[in-house]
Amino acid sequence: MAVTLPEGNLETRLSRYLDGFNGRHGIEDSSVEGNLVLVVVKPGDLPAVLTTARETLGILHLSFITVVDRRGSFELTYELLDLRGAQVRVKTTIEGEEPVIGSVTGIYPTANWHEREAYDMFGVAFKGHPDLRRLYMWQDHFDHHPLLKSFEISTRRTFEGLR
Amino acid sequence: MLGEERRTEGTALTQPASGRLASPDIRDEFGLETIDMNMGPQHPAMHGLLRLILELDGETVVRCDPVMGYLHRSKEKISENRMYPAVIPITDRIDYMNNMAMEYGYCLAVEKLLDVEIPPRADAIRALMNEFSRIMSHIPSLGFLLLELGAFTPILYAFRERERIQSIMEEVTGARMMFHYIRLGGVKADLPEGMPEKMWEYIEGLESRLQPDFIDLIEGNEIFIARTRGVGKITPEKAVEMGLTGVPLRCTGVEFDVRKHYPYGWYENLDFDVVTDQAGDVEASYRCRIGEVRQSIRMIKQILQSLPEGEVMGDMGRRIRPTEGDGIGRVESARGEYAVHVVSDGSDTPYRVHYRTPCTVNMQLLQEIVPGHYLPDIMPIMGLIDPVSGAWDK
Repeated sequence: MAVTLPEGNLETRLSRYLDGFNGRHGIEDSSVEGNLVLVVVKPGDLPAVLTTARETLGILHLSFITVVDRRGSFELTYELLDLRGAQVRVKTTIEGEEPVIGSVTGIYPTANWHEREAYDMFGVAFKGHPDLRRLYMWQDHFDHHPLLKSFEISTRRTFEGLR
Repeated sequence: MLGEERRTEGTALTQPASGRLASPDIRDEFGLETIDMNMGPQHPAMHGLLRLILELDGETVVRCDPVMGYLHRSKEKISENRMYPAVIPITDRIDYMNNMAMEYGYCLAVEKLLDVEIPPRADAIRALMNEFSRIMSHIPSLGFLLLELGAFTPILYAFRERERIQSIMEEVTGARMMFHYIRLGGVKADLPEGMPEKMWEYIEGLESRLQPDFIDLIEGNEIFIARTRGVGKITPEKAVEMGLTGVPLRCTGVEFDVRKHYPYGWYENLDFDVVTDQAGDVEASYRCRIGEVRQSIRMIKQILQSLPEGEVMGDMGRRIRPTEGDGIGRVESARGEYAVHVVSDGSDTPYRVHYRTPCTVNMQLLQEIVPGHYLPDIMPIMGLIDPVSGAWDK
């Protein structure tokens, strides 16, 4: 079987991951708490940092991508698991109303639909994504991004965009 | 049941999928064209509201593009506009076959941000109900798989078991499907009197019925083998690359179970095995599900034997206001890794709730493995993934 899962005890692995991330530039902050390695990066460095995680450190699983609308900036959380007890959380913040960030589908193919969902719900544009369409909402004649804080809940408004 | 030599005969349909497509030369010579076909969203055999756009070359699928959103209710937006305890019934409706895990994930996420001690009895009851919920989801999913292959009996047996568990659940929680039982800080109510004995009796009965009703009836069946062996074959590398979790990952031989590798609640105290299989096809996923039901039975017995005494609700206070920050709760639902990410800004409603449902991620696999298979093989592959409409659409 070609899948190599990490071995060894949790503490040494956590410190190996932390060292691996600190070894490259673009890391703004990093810490270990419990079984969690938290890394804060600049948005431009994110694909490179995830490449380090996948290729150098061998963290195999991208669990999910969360986007949080902070009214004026967007906070993205990439949650990675090494499938053996350690979690790695990579955070980045994009300033401005029209967020753009590099896609990680080339590193973690599972990110495909996660990024489509983030685009659908928040309008985050992922540069280099092979197929950036909406995932849940109507493909045509609907120009809202429903999870933005500026989108207020109202049935009337939802269907206005469809006319 | 069939002998070993006859079992291997049932592999007529399972030649390598790539050999079935017409070569470009033949295609040009005879002027062959592919046709586009819609499957769903309201197909009688479909697992809910899913639309597949298929490109067909004869009876072989060339391209498969799932279109989702027909049951999208925007749970995440609804959750942002409710107080913390009022989100729990919303989570019930995400995966309506395995509701307990959905509640559990959300409660774990919020409890990370709260300073609350969960009483051990509440933890044990949570695990107990989760394992019942898993059996309640796994056994009908086997029934659905067989129903799609043309066998009607297993679904009747499966729903007999589901109904019996639902009756147990009704006595404990007051509801048959949308339980709202796991609450922030504990569970809604203690088990009624005489309930552990009743559960024990049911679980013993299920254990004895599992072999005749779900294994002997299905496993050696020639049609079942012909329709499932080698169909939907996934390699371990592909499975990990696609981010699969749950049975679709474990049936390829990769050992990953959130209960084992990221333990939560009472699961640290339980002794169980992670069921894996090497084949990575639909038949292997069937064997994995049966194995997991056995492990669930084993866990339920362990919990019932050493059920701690005491309270079932921690001290929560009247207003629930978690501290600012991120809370992530991760549980193993019947379909894979289910995670909830709650972002709090210190008020009494969540600032953002993100649900990572295993179905959405596992469904990406359709794009990858369906091409090259025959059209009727799509249904067994859906049985491998076992998606639930409410869970992939949120």
